[in-house]
Amino acid sequence: MHLDPFELHRPTSVEETVALAGRLAPKFDYLAGGTDLLPNYKMRLNTRPNLIALEDVSELRGVSLDRVGAMTRLADLEAHGGFRSAYPGVLEAVVEVATPLVRASGTLGGNLLVETRCFFFNQSFPWRESLGFCLKADGDRCHVVPQKEKCYATFSGDLAPSLSVLDAEVEVAGPDGRRRVPVTTMYDAAGDGIQRHHLKPGELLVAVHFPPAARTLRATYRKLRVRPSFDFPELGVAAAARLTADGTIDHLALSVGGTETFPKRFDELTGPLVGSRPTLPRVRELAAEVQKRVRPVHNTFLAADYRKKMTGVFVRRAVGQVLGIGEGRP
Amino acid sequence: MDSPMSGRASIRLTINGTAMELGCPPERILLDLLREDLNLTGTKRGCDLGTCGCCTVLLDGRPVLSCLTLARLAIGHDVTTIEGVTPATGLSPLQKAFVEHGATQCGFCTPGFIMTGTALLRDHPDASREEIERAISGNLCRCTGYLKIVEAIQAVGKETP
Repeated sequence: MHLDPFELHRPTSVEETVALAGRLAPKFDYLAGGTDLLPNYKMRLNTRPNLIALEDVSELRGVSLDRVGAMTRLADLEAHGGFRSAYPGVLEAVVEVATPLVRASGTLGGNLLVETRCFFFNQSFPWRESLGFCLKADGDRCHVVPQKEKCYATFSGDLAPSLSVLDAEVEVAGPDGRRRVPVTTMYDAAGDGIQRHHLKPGELLVAVHFPPAARTLRATYRKLRVRPSFDFPELGVAAAARLTADGTIDHLALSVGGTETFPKRFDELTGPLVGSRPTLPRVRELAAEVQKRVRPVHNTFLAADYRKKMTGVFVRRAVGQVLGIGEGRP
Repeated sequence: MDSPMSGRASIRLTINGTAMELGCPPERILLDLLREDLNLTGTKRGCDLGTCGCCTVLLDGRPVLSCLTLARLAIGHDVTTIEGVTPATGLSPLQKAFVEHGATQCGFCTPGFIMTGTALLRDHPDASREEIERAISGNLCRCTGYLKIVEAIQAVGKETP
């Protein structure tokens, strides 16, 4: 498939990139690894006349335990010994992203901002045209929940949940300078599903920052998918915890992706467990409550009620594992 | 400084060790450039969306999906295709092993597997079965069931001193 013509821009600094974005907005896309954007462009999904390639912006690279550049390839993150041993829970998510070939080009920032997915969106132009375009691309209605004027496409990144439970932050550069946004709150939970995050037009993801406390947490990531390779998450559960010396819960965080339009934290459910001793009944209660609160719709390969049920199972196993009380079966 | 690229301005690329200059619009995908402009048709177009790995080439020695790579982003990098890893006469050790182990049936996915396998064996000549399986998990084969492919890659790894 050939792509429609566009202009390709290759800035070399963050400042230059942001200025360029300001000039071209909204008629541009940032091009990171291209493994998500280019398939969508081939399907003629929301193509724009300008691509700003981030390849040459050196500030977007670099891996340390405090900061990972947004243009870091997932394969390079995987190969970084220091990162791997500091954040094994994040690595569990990294190696579950797509395939080694996709990770050879795909980047950390790209995965955080990966396009949401839906049966009725990730289709060729003629397919979508024959059914009638949906409101995520070219149309004005939702085929999944027709009575609503909201997009229900599913958040399909693996890294956001695993970074959220570590309380990582993204550094963002824009026309008004730089700011930090917690991964947990960067996604738009209350929006229309089309605008998926709280980044302003033209803002650029520069890096992910890890607080020192992130290295004191035990974390894990569980992914549900049909094939153990390539597939996007039908469900992704990340959990992180720290116990005090006497075995009570000092910190517990849980984030669920692959079920709604954004990765969802459950602080209101995990918070009350802090200060208590971890027990299996309480973990099961937590899992059942999370299962009740996720709202997947039938817009990915597996049925929505199955994904909902598996949310309970995965939460039980993931939280049980990070609290060290078993039920941590794969 | 940014200078937007449009039209068929020519670019310089190094493909299989040969520097060349050729016209290339910004939206040209590396796979299309290889197959349609350079007639290097050993690199196959499978899904064209990054799922199957048939289009795998090496970019500075790293296996990447040429169907998801803009040709212009390969400027300044070395591109190696299946033609580039095949000796002028005969076959590479891995290609030979694929023949000897019956690791190829219809053959469409084979160039992709050879590229991924070549890079793997270069970096990890003693790759375990599990490492091989993980490395080729982005290459799809609909004929062999993978067993023979894994055996062929493993056989070459063992031979390497």
